[in-house]
Amino acid sequence: MKRTKVHMLGFLVSLAWKNLSRYRRRTIITVVAIAFGIAMYIWVDSLLLGAERESERNLVWYETGAAKVMEANFWKNIDYLPLEYSFVPSKSLKDALSSSGVVWTPRVCFFGEVYTDEGSLPVKVIGIDPKEDKRVYRLENVIYRGRFLNNGEKGVLVGRKLMRSLGVDVGNLLTLKIRTKSGVFKTLRLRITGVIGSPNPKVNGGTLFIPLSLVNRELELHGAVTELSLYFPGWQTPEKILGRLRAKLEDERSLVVKSWRDLAPDFLAVSQGKRSGTAVILFLIFIIAAVGISNTMLMAVYERIREIGMMRAMGMGDSALKFAFLLEAGGIGFIGALVGIALGALLSFYSVRYGIDFSAYMKDVDIGYRLTGVFRGAWNPEVFPISFVFGVAVSMGVAFIPASRALKMEITECLRHQ
Amino acid sequence: MVRVVNVTKDYRVGKTTVKALRGVSLEIDAGEFVSIAGPSGSGKTTLLNLIGCLDKPTSGEVYLEGSPVSGLNRRELALLRRDKIGFVFQSFNLIPVLTAYENVSFSLSLLGLDREDVKNRTMEILAEVGLEGLERRFPSELSGGQQQRVAIARALVKKPTLVLADEPTANLDSATGKEILELMAELNNRYNTTFVFSTHDPMVMEFAKRLVLLHDGRVADGGKV
Repeated sequence: MKRTKVHMLGFLVSLAWKNLSRYRRRTIITVVAIAFGIAMYIWVDSLLLGAERESERNLVWYETGAAKVMEANFWKNIDYLPLEYSFVPSKSLKDALSSSGVVWTPRVCFFGEVYTDEGSLPVKVIGIDPKEDKRVYRLENVIYRGRFLNNGEKGVLVGRKLMRSLGVDVGNLLTLKIRTKSGVFKTLRLRITGVIGSPNPKVNGGTLFIPLSLVNRELELHGAVTELSLYFPGWQTPEKILGRLRAKLEDERSLVVKSWRDLAPDFLAVSQGKRSGTAVILFLIFIIAAVGISNTMLMAVYERIREIGMMRAMGMGDSALKFAFLLEAGGIGFIGALVGIALGALLSFYSVRYGIDFSAYMKDVDIGYRLTGVFRGAWNPEVFPISFVFGVAVSMGVAFIPASRALKMEITECLRHQ
Repeated sequence: MVRVVNVTKDYRVGKTTVKALRGVSLEIDAGEFVSIAGPSGSGKTTLLNLIGCLDKPTSGEVYLEGSPVSGLNRRELALLRRDKIGFVFQSFNLIPVLTAYENVSFSLSLLGLDREDVKNRTMEILAEVGLEGLERRFPSELSGGQQQRVAIARALVKKPTLVLADEPTANLDSATGKEILELMAELNNRYNTTFVFSTHDPMVMEFAKRLVLLHDGRVADGGKV
């Protein structure tokens, strides 16, 4: 009995292979459909993963740092950046940060209004310490034009997109209206020292950077800041180190520590959306593969109904026949998946290594991702076995229906089939 | 060997019922070379299908080697066909992707014989039917007569007790048809295998050692019950 099954299996595998190689054109068309679907899936997944990882990097390097320490009330009203909830960093806070392996830089964030010949524009203003800021952020590396700030000067850094919106350039004077901590409005005349062209469109958009000492003086903060921006290695999974830090800050009850994930909810929403997008792509690929294979298998079954009738007449069992068709479909899925993976890997290799430059189309448009146009892929090893199993399983799944239907026909009906 | 007792077979075609067999009784002994003859629509193929366990009668009973087949389930019928019955079809029904050798050895693969045995028996039967040297040809590379020889080899290679052939010469020219009939008669003599074949060709009927005439779904002559 066991020998019979082994012989039968060998025969069925050989039959499936012969059918695949004999009906070569049909096999190739189906393999191409599956391979195309799988390659697209791997490639798009690589691009989206790359976009997500690069966005995270650009978020941390240019916008949020790895985390921020701020007053709890400031966090509650973060949309208004209220200066009344600024704080003077205590020695115990600084010690706690240093002993946790965290580097930090003070910042003051507030809203202002820039005046131009054509009107005014609300902007986010960030007071930075030009020397300390580079410990956490990398703005100095992305000066698009001009130079970085010096301590104490009445200078300002402007984002590239904002520069274009305002129609200004390096060396021009900018009029900025601000409101001090005590609620008094002031106007500052600042000279543009440089333009920031970061890969993060949010930073290039509506943000001005001015020296912290100037901010401190003009806003009457007396050494207070709205936040301490933090950076530490392993920021991708910040909870462990932040947990340790929170434990050390138990005495500083009015302060909260927020990770970059907490600070960029819009990005997380896009990231979640990406997962839904991947599911939609997977579904579309499923449809492409399923239609391709079911069409092939329908043709394969209907062309061979007499053959099926003959094999049943000769005593071949239903399960063996069904298995023969599943093997054939699985074979197509197997080849299609392998070709698709190879193709997907090649496309991913190109996008990981060189990226795809959409900057001519995107400019500094904010699409939620912190990218300005060059989409670089990232390797996602788990997508390869998943798409392989998917290719084979879908192929076999859709072959099951026509094969079962053919076996429901009477043998005599099969033998009469034209 | 085969006993058919008062068998009827009705088919539904749309809203009408076609009575293909109207109470057929027939006995065939082991080793016989029987032709079931009659005009088109007389029920020849239906009767062969019932004897070959490819279909079930509306009423009556078919006995093979003394056992009724009506109580057998789908799987048992498949096993019965696999072990005892060989089929030769009018249009050969060879598997196009398999060579002559593979088409014949397919029957033995179903039986689970070991490779050496399969090879020996396949080569032997192919030589018997005059296809030595053509084992590696695909059906499309063989003439009609050669294809029917492959089909006969496929039916006989498993040494069945009964071979059923539905109009085996209908798709062949008369000379090739005659060769095929001579081959079948020779194999019947040599192996004492029971051959039952249907035809409406007078030349074919001449070859039969016994003739069963069907007319309008009834045995007109030669039923021997």
